[in-house]
Amino acid sequence: MVLVAIISLLCGILCGQLLFSPQMTEVFALLADATLYLLMFAVGISVGLNKQVFRRLREYHFKILVIPFGIVVATIAAGFLASLISGLPFYEGVPVACGLGWYSLSGVLLTNLAGAKVGTLAFLSNLLREIFSFLSIPFVAKHFNHYTAIAPAAATSEDTTLPLLMKYTSEEVVLMAVFNGVLCSAVVPVLIRFFYAFLR
Amino acid sequence: MLILAIMAVGIVVGYLCFPIRWSRANAGLQLVCTAVLIFCMGVALGSRPNFWEELAELGIDSLIFSLLPIGLSVALVYVLTRKFMKRGEE
Repeated sequence: MVLVAIISLLCGILCGQLLFSPQMTEVFALLADATLYLLMFAVGISVGLNKQVFRRLREYHFKILVIPFGIVVATIAAGFLASLISGLPFYEGVPVACGLGWYSLSGVLLTNLAGAKVGTLAFLSNLLREIFSFLSIPFVAKHFNHYTAIAPAAATSEDTTLPLLMKYTSEEVVLMAVFNGVLCSAVVPVLIRFFYAFLR
Repeated sequence: MLILAIMAVGIVVGYLCFPIRWSRANAGLQLVCTAVLIFCMGVALGSRPNFWEELAELGIDSLIFSLLPIGLSVALVYVLTRKFMKRGEE
């Protein structure tokens, strides 16, 4: 799966550079949307086939918030640390990290708030977070625990990285990943705007 | 929201009427879709007019801003789940 992910990404970058015109990339954006819908339907079927999972989820209560809480707190702390290392001011660096892997939204938001350079940094770093999630989820699921495999994915755990979580964890963790992804996605625009205004 | 609605429909279909013997085909479909999705992501990235310049200028910072959040998130979630989730619950 990881090899498939790396090869697909490299082929995509090469094709984007060498083969496709800007008009074609719009077609690929539509293809990506359609593929994501099909993928979500297929993942939904996998979850629905496991009849035990819903009863187990009800037993978690507040503990279902532990994972998104941990991801958001750790990511904000990492934003401060990364700002110190890179020399970026906190009011730019912390919002970049707060994209939580949602590269399209964080890129656009920070371009509008802080300019093209910070917007591009947000786009690239959050895209890399998604790519590194693809590469690290199998390792984390094997060497830590299945819940922790959700952590690298952050906001993407409800969509693009969900099939990988499905493959390397369980249906139960997949439902927690969807919940985590929804919550993380909801807080991304709030965190970016808040830290950009609060730390200035 | 549309994505979640589509997934919810999939869950209902899987729960009520999807033949279990087709689950392998369903898993294969997921693999193909994932590959196509990542390919499209690569196309979006590679077609940026200043892709290599951006990568050279912001590459190291992008690495720092992607790897540190992943590393700290894994560490904290691991500690929290060890404390709050019972072993084997997953």
